Amino acid sequence: MGAPEETYFTPVVPMDFTYNYRVGPYITRYLDGFKDKKILGSRCPGCGLVAVPPRKYCGVCNKVMEEMVEVGQEGTLENFTVGHVTIEKGRLAPAEAPYVLGLVKLEEATSALLARVGGIAPSEVRTGMKVKAVWKDEAAGDYDDLDHFEPV
Amino acid sequence: MRNVGIVGIGYTPVFVSKRKDVNISEMISEAVEAAFSNTGLGPKDIDAVVFGNMHTFEGVNLPHLWAADYIASLGKPLMRIATGGTTGMSAFHAGYYHIASGLHDVVMVVTYEKQSEGDSQVGLMGIITPEVMAMIAAGIDVTGGSGMGAIGGGSAGGISFQASSYLHHSGAGIEHIDEQAALERRNAAKNPYAHLKDPDATAEKVAQTPLVSWPIRFGHICPTSDGATVAILASEKAAARITEKAAWVHAVANCASDATTANLIESQITDPAEHLPAIIASRQAYERAGIADPKKEIDYVEIYNGFAHQALMYLEKIGMCEVGEAHKLQEAGELEMSGRMPVNASGGVVSTNAIGTSAMNRVTECALQILGQAGEHQVEKDVHKAVAHGWGGMMQYVTITVLGDKPKKD
Ligand SMILES: [Zn+2]
Repeated sequence: MGAPEETYFTPVVPMDFTYNYRVGPYITRYLDGFKDKKILGSRCPGCGLVAVPPRKYCGVCNKVMEEMVEVGQEGTLENFTVGHVTIEKGRLAPAEAPYVLGLVKLEEATSALLARVGGIAPSEVRTGMKVKAVWKDEAAGDYDDLDHFEPV
Repeated sequence: MRNVGIVGIGYTPVFVSKRKDVNISEMISEAVEAAFSNTGLGPKDIDAVVFGNMHTFEGVNLPHLWAADYIASLGKPLMRIATGGTTGMSAFHAGYYHIASGLHDVVMVVTYEKQSEGDSQVGLMGIITPEVMAMIAAGIDVTGGSGMGAIGGGSAGGISFQASSYLHHSGAGIEHIDEQAALERRNAAKNPYAHLKDPDATAEKVAQTPLVSWPIRFGHICPTSDGATVAILASEKAAARITEKAAWVHAVANCASDATTANLIESQITDPAEHLPAIIASRQAYERAGIADPKKEIDYVEIYNGFAHQALMYLEKIGMCEVGEAHKLQEAGELEMSGRMPVNASGGVVSTNAIGTSAMNRVTECALQILGQAGEHQVEKDVHKAVAHGWGGMMQYVTITVLGDKPKKD
């Protein structure tokens, strides 16, 4: 039995979905640090790893990371990608210009922080480069206070 | 534990981007009918059913119950498994547990995806909401387009960090990723159940596709497919009644790492290509299967590669070659269907991705190679043992299945 090729329903659901994600005490402390342009991590009492951003549990030894520590503003670019598209509401579009996203291991931290990398042509970016944090002039305790990283 | 064999496999007649002619349950039933027809079994022969597909992808949250009568499950034990991209193999493992435990003798595992019906971005949102949260935690402006670029297309963006790290540590170049995509699309042209087929694919052609997020190009990325796959599993005693030749499970294993976006923004891992779960799960599986040296003892490999570089990267992770060796095996032609270590003769996930089936098809394709029933894409060498790899979760979860041509000896 053949069906018409294009018979389908498109239900429109009369609802608006909003997520309200509570960040918890660790990220609250992290963002408080941003007000003073400080980057905080949490140190594991078991293995000494320092996670940035801070988190409750050390996955390696499953201990609660109670100690908050300030880490350096400079670090090493561990890895990067050059984005050529952007995505808005699920639709891909060409980026205005290629942009760099990197994983930065800050001094004293043992984890990598995902961040934008600026102040350098994408073709010049190399794994292992030294980079430093660039803040917005007015830090308000928001995620985007830490604007990007640039070469030292 | 009891031995478990794969006694029947059923695919939908095609895996394509849009099955407009049937609804979800009807499409799934085609694979069930194929498995019954291939084995001579019917609903009365099935003790229990395991079902797997992606969470929310078609906007149907309980598809196993919605399709209950289309999958011959009425009045029988039925459960659904969803672990992300690995779902198909997790469902297969659940079917294995049902029989190995002694609880059931014949179990049908049903997997599907009909990606054209819903918005995969919405489906992925159910998975990547925590990823978005992790990005926020990492200070990325997720409201801006470039922030979303890091998770562009669900995982293409995150995966580019993995590919970047793989190239850095292996010594391979982007041209090896191009060639792997081309190799698998050529293989796909020989598989009637593959989606993207190109008998004339070359690395040069793939290299002409635009960059999404360096080093990942469009030509490296899997399609979204509609299709279903069914496997019927049986105990040794039941298998003897059903078929003369089964593919036998020698080991299953799975492993996850940190739940925070998995090697992308994982708080405690600095290398997105480290992928310890693949190393740990494969080692456990080989030990359980009594395999001392997978390089010598495994004849065939199916890798879950939603992105072309992953075939090379995971060959190294699961111990099929040394780190930095996979691209050299590729250059030497060893990964081809005629090679010494054929991989993804099916065309891999990079050619066909009806997600719920994708990790399952790695197992069924290994089984077909062992049974000598792969048709045009049967590899040249004899296949006695094969390993199937599944990748998914929140990018940090790996499943492994080792199959053999004889029941495993204790
Ligand atoms: Zn620790």
